[in-house]
Amino acid sequence: MSSRKQPKGKIRPPKKPNSADAQFNDNWDRLAQAIREIHKKNASILSFEELYRNAYNMVLHKNGDKLYNGVREVITQHLEEVAVSQVVPAFPLSGASSSQTNPNGAGGANFLKVLKTVWEDHTTCMLMIRDILMYMDRVYAKTANVPLVYDLGLDLFRDTIVRSQNYPIQNHLLEVLLQQIKLERENEIIDRTNVKASIDMLLELTDASTKDTVYATDFENKFLETSSEYYRVEGQMLVGEYDAPEYMKKVDKRLNEEEQRVRHYLSQTTEPKIRNIVEEELISKHLKTVIEMENSGLIPMLRNEKMDDLGRMYKLFGRVVKGHDEMKSAISDYIRELGKAINETVTSNTTAEGGNAASGDKQTGATVAVRWVQEVLDLKDKFDKVQNLALSNDKAFQTSFNEAFEYFINKNSKSPEFISLFIDDNLKKGLKGKTEEEVDSVLDKTITLFRFIGEKDVFERYYKQHLAKRLLLGRSVSDDAERGMIGKLKVECGYQFTTKLEGMFNDMRISSDTMTDFKEYLDKSVLEKPKLDLSVTVLTSTFWPMNLSASPRCNLPPELTKACGTFQNFYLGRHSGRRLTWQSNMGTADIRGSFKARKHELNVSTYQMVILLMFNDKQDGESLSYEQIKGESDIPEADLKRNLQSLACAKYKILVKEPKGKEINPGDQFNFNNDFTAPLQRIKIQTVASKVESEGERKETREKVEEARKHQTEAAIVRIMKDRKTMEHNLLIAEVVKQLQSRFMPNPALIKKRIEALIEREYLERATGDRRVYNYLA
Amino acid sequence: MSTTTSTKFLKSLSTDFTKLLFNAEDYNVIIKVGDSNFKAHSCILRARSPYFHSALSRDWAMKEGNNIIFEKPNISPKIFEMILSYLYSGTISLEQEHPTTILDLLTASDELILLELFTHVKEYFF
Repeated sequence: MSSRKQPKGKIRPPKKPNSADAQFNDNWDRLAQAIREIHKKNASILSFEELYRNAYNMVLHKNGDKLYNGVREVITQHLEEVAVSQVVPAFPLSGASSSQTNPNGAGGANFLKVLKTVWEDHTTCMLMIRDILMYMDRVYAKTANVPLVYDLGLDLFRDTIVRSQNYPIQNHLLEVLLQQIKLERENEIIDRTNVKASIDMLLELTDASTKDTVYATDFENKFLETSSEYYRVEGQMLVGEYDAPEYMKKVDKRLNEEEQRVRHYLSQTTEPKIRNIVEEELISKHLKTVIEMENSGLIPMLRNEKMDDLGRMYKLFGRVVKGHDEMKSAISDYIRELGKAINETVTSNTTAEGGNAASGDKQTGATVAVRWVQEVLDLKDKFDKVQNLALSNDKAFQTSFNEAFEYFINKNSKSPEFISLFIDDNLKKGLKGKTEEEVDSVLDKTITLFRFIGEKDVFERYYKQHLAKRLLLGRSVSDDAERGMIGKLKVECGYQFTTKLEGMFNDMRISSDTMTDFKEYLDKSVLEKPKLDLSVTVLTSTFWPMNLSASPRCNLPPELTKACGTFQNFYLGRHSGRRLTWQSNMGTADIRGSFKARKHELNVSTYQMVILLMFNDKQDGESLSYEQIKGESDIPEADLKRNLQSLACAKYKILVKEPKGKEINPGDQFNFNNDFTAPLQRIKIQTVASKVESEGERKETREKVEEARKHQTEAAIVRIMKDRKTMEHNLLIAEVVKQLQSRFMPNPALIKKRIEALIEREYLERATGDRRVYNYLA
Repeated sequence: MSTTTSTKFLKSLSTDFTKLLFNAEDYNVIIKVGDSNFKAHSCILRARSPYFHSALSRDWAMKEGNNIIFEKPNISPKIFEMILSYLYSGTISLEQEHPTTILDLLTASDELILLELFTHVKEYFF
């Protein structure tokens, strides 16, 4: 303690007439000595109060600059000594080969450890020096615009140690750091504390010219360069050695490691940079290679439903610009390819079937359609699952998948018919053990396919046909299910699309009321009652798919003709001005047949009834020829063949044909099969089962569709022109396309023809000045 | 000043801290100024002044037994008492003081980098 009292005595000299310089020198000597003691970790013998007052007095007496420079000199001197005595001896053996000499980088680690101590000593000392020079910092440094003493210490450390001009400390430091990181990348355990200390040191030091950290100016670029090279080599090695899932796991691991590394001992600012490098070298550069890896790339993953791997690829590839695009296009191509295969199985099936189209193998026809839709639905399910489980329901992927589905679905020109048949299959009675909920969910899925159809008008046509059959043959599972489906279609296409379908339901309801009234009418009337139960469904011709101009001919038996007449009188009596046309091709009949074994109740089509009744007049064994039947019944040839086929060539052979065979040919002879037996009393003769259209029918449907399109196109043109009055050709075309594309994609040539037709019929005219402009003629 | 923060309790805080200085309860610093010994609390001094923050830090504090001993030879006890009182209570009264006292206080507050006090005294003085 007594030593601390000494300063008290020395406080007096200022009052002596000594020169100011001498006094300064005296004070400075003691201060410099004190700083040296601090460097020697001998500070406990020093008095803060005295040293502080000493520096205070120097600054007070305008010797701040001398003090400041003196401090700089003492610290520099000390650091030079440290460099020589501590840092240089710790250099790892022979720079470049050090990793060979010290396989674990022990020399490097030791060097970092020494540097860590040196740095810690320096900062500790600087804090103490800052304490005693607080007055200099506050008063001198501020006015002289020089760094505070602590920062001065940092600059001196930077220039004397880290970037020493005299010793290759910088080289060694950078090399050791990069070497340590390399060792860690190769799964060696390194002492992260030492590395972190050096990194933190570099982060605390500032580069004088860039004002950035020494970490950024000296270390970071080198680190990124070596990393780039490292991962370039590693990327090439990995794609050569591993399959896609393994590769991605390795990349994942690397990305994770680098992130951890940055978090543990590098600067956070390096994180995006090193991430970019790994992403560039390990992902971007090998995108295609990994996607296309045989037996393990993207397609095999999809094929084997490797959701984890797909998810990993999605996440990983999403990191780079082109990653998702490449994945998307590869998956879309794959969907197209699978879709093409589905389409091909169908075409090969239908062409094979085409040969025996007349054989009446209707089941196969519908099965092809149902199978096609089911396969497409399965494919859709598969990719929905991928979307859901692996692709985070990415909208961009969804869009691209949808395009692929749309593409191949529309490649199959029969898809509108198939989808309608599929719905038909599901809405028919006797649903193969499916619950209503199951059916509903299948139909919901079907709607998603419906969305992909470009020619919605074609679908509508088929849907009407199939619905008509379901309704008229009473084969609909339920009104609720039918209306549910129409509701779904309405949501997709608007009410215009479904009004006619709803009209069909109305007809069914009204007809049932009409029949009740008809029965009452018959009960009350004095007329002779018909010898059969007649059930009439009155259809509004515009709602139902029927061809009035080619009304089906058929010579009905007299009993039936009479009954029809009675109904006609009844009906027209109530609704004057209406015209009834009998659609005998759409009816059914229940007749009783007496066979040798027993009587059976047969549920047949009207045509079949007509055919069978002809045999009533014949003796046992007396046959009718095809020509006879045709002449007598006047049933159109295609229908006649089909119905004869059902009676003579199908499951229940009510008629026997000579010669035997699946085909009906002119000259065939038919006999009533008296020996017919069946376990059931009531038998349904299948005819009108829905099936895929034959080529002829398809052509007919196609023509009808084209005709309808003409009308719709004209209607659209008139609608638009009525509103705009005058319009330029291209704009009109564009507007028409816009209005019609929800139903079909009209081609400009068609629109142009319709415009010309409308000009001819004087709905429109060409403008006098500009022939590309049309005017609406009211 | 924020409207939600009331400052009306600062006065009693100041009074209580002054009592703490007078009673020297739980003191742990003895400051030797001339012939006077002031008893004080290192935490309060360090919190109030960067000078004392360094002076009484682990690096620099001189200990005798459990107490830190600090000597301030170039300041008079009277001035130092004023400074201590200012540090504890956040108040100072200059009205009754002789100009030389005030001048000494100005010099001392400069040395100890008590900026608020220095500014206040300077404004009062000039």
